[in-house]
Amino acid sequence: MRDTFVKTLLEAAKKDRNIILMTGDLGYGVLDTFEKELPGQFINSGVNEQAMMGMAAGYASTGKRVFVYSIANFPTLRCLEQIRNDVCLMNNPVVVVSVGAGYGYGNQGYTHHALEDIAILRALPNMEVIVPADPAETAQLTLSIIASKRPTYLRLGKSGEPAIHTTAPKVSHGVINEVCPGKSGTLIFAGSVGTVAVAAAKELAGQGLSVAVASMPFVSTIDMSYLKKALAKGPVIVIEEHSYRGGVGAAVLEAVNAANLQGAIGLIAADQNNLSQIGDQNFLRAVNGINVENIIKKFNALVAN
Amino acid sequence: MSNAVTAFTKAADLALAARHEIISMTSTAKASHVASALSVVDILSVLYTGAANISAKNMDGADRDIVILSKGHSAAALYSVLALQGFFPKDWLAQYCNNDAALGGHVTSKGVPGVELSTGSLGHGLPYGLGIAMSRKKSGAKGRVFVVMSDGECDEGTTWESAMIANHHGLDNLVVIVDRNKIQSLTFTEDTLKLEPFADKWIAFGWQTETISGHDYSLLAAGLSQQSGPKCIIADTTKGKGVDFMENSVLWHYKPPSADDVNKAFEQLGENY
Repeated sequence: MRDTFVKTLLEAAKKDRNIILMTGDLGYGVLDTFEKELPGQFINSGVNEQAMMGMAAGYASTGKRVFVYSIANFPTLRCLEQIRNDVCLMNNPVVVVSVGAGYGYGNQGYTHHALEDIAILRALPNMEVIVPADPAETAQLTLSIIASKRPTYLRLGKSGEPAIHTTAPKVSHGVINEVCPGKSGTLIFAGSVGTVAVAAAKELAGQGLSVAVASMPFVSTIDMSYLKKALAKGPVIVIEEHSYRGGVGAAVLEAVNAANLQGAIGLIAADQNNLSQIGDQNFLRAVNGINVENIIKKFNALVAN
Repeated sequence: MSNAVTAFTKAADLALAARHEIISMTSTAKASHVASALSVVDILSVLYTGAANISAKNMDGADRDIVILSKGHSAAALYSVLALQGFFPKDWLAQYCNNDAALGGHVTSKGVPGVELSTGSLGHGLPYGLGIAMSRKKSGAKGRVFVVMSDGECDEGTTWESAMIANHHGLDNLVVIVDRNKIQSLTFTEDTLKLEPFADKWIAFGWQTETISGHDYSLLAAGLSQQSGPKCIIADTTKGKGVDFMENSVLWHYKPPSADDVNKAFEQLGENY
């Protein structure tokens, strides 16, 4: 995902000299080509996320589209007030890009796990939170972000994520992209955790349950039309690689409540019972409750109700 | 602008008028930070009478100089100076901090002509100004960036992060002016978190650094007139300057002037200026 993002950004930046890429001294082997080809549009600020984010906001105020790249919580929580005041309050067109969503940096430990970022970033006014599912969505979303002038948070996986969409998705602002159709319920996911949703849908199919799987990359702009149809059809499970508190599932519940929609909704998110547990991304997803077994259990329980 | 005004050309005249406004508006609004505003108003008056290329006429110009008041709690000083220089109607000052007013207790940019950045949380103005300066430097655009900070604000880590970045990138279009009044929120700066040797710190970070009286208009103007790299002016000031019972006292970081205080202050300003 990150490579697709950087490649897409580089091609766009060659044509649009107002695109600037800043990094807080991260992106070894990832940003090199961008720096080499467009040195005038690349800034390595050093290890100083707070000054960097304020600087990005000031830079953006001069008419530039500034992408601030770092990993995990460094471009989000570390410099939260700079995002709040200098980016969101001033409505400056900064794009915060974080690589390593959820347990992407699995065995590097909790300091490198991004599990509260969606809750916190989506609480900020003027901020658009975007979570692509795979490289194909990432490429399209990067281009649409460049075209928009809004403060944006782009939450990316790390690298090597498989394509979740079997046919190229047509990404549109605020729209949920269906990966496969289904008649008796829907698994909605955000991010590369979609692979777990797809696997769960296959298991449910084996039980004779036809379940739709859909990617929800827009967390701040909720696709109410899709949700309404999905809830009319059967249970909806929202799957994310993030804390239960305030994440994508919570955003869906808020929107459904505000629209007074009826229907069964279940959430699959990180339990965060043991913050110090070491392991790779798949292991940590599984032990924190983001696994096929839990999805099936939750879906069947909602069907039984 | 609805009411055409003739801008002050002399910093001393602007500062005297602004001091009256600051005392009136903080009293009417029962607002804090009168002493912080009196401390910084001479610096702002110098900037807005020609040291910075910014006026009501060119305030939307792409190559204007940018002035950011990072110590957002001294909003009354900036608002007074801008109103007196014709950026917005002077009668807005009487509404300071009122419900639905344009002017809030900390510097607010939205809907207030001439204000470049909303501030109030310390340590934000310098990184923001740094970003503007870097963008201008990289694109060859004209115009300098002046960031006015408080000395207590220099406790914030972003100050020194920004100082390193500005030096590394050779930003000869960025100027920091520190209102060195030596008092912060609870007590004196040197009793809170030592800043001294303060000038040496900026010098060590690669900044062209000068310590100048922050109440001497001609020295300030001269100090602001040239630079060969990122420049720091440590403006030696007195908190509450111009009103003897407000000077050099932590109390007036918070206390709004009563009607009686206003009368006494106006008597002094009339005599001293």
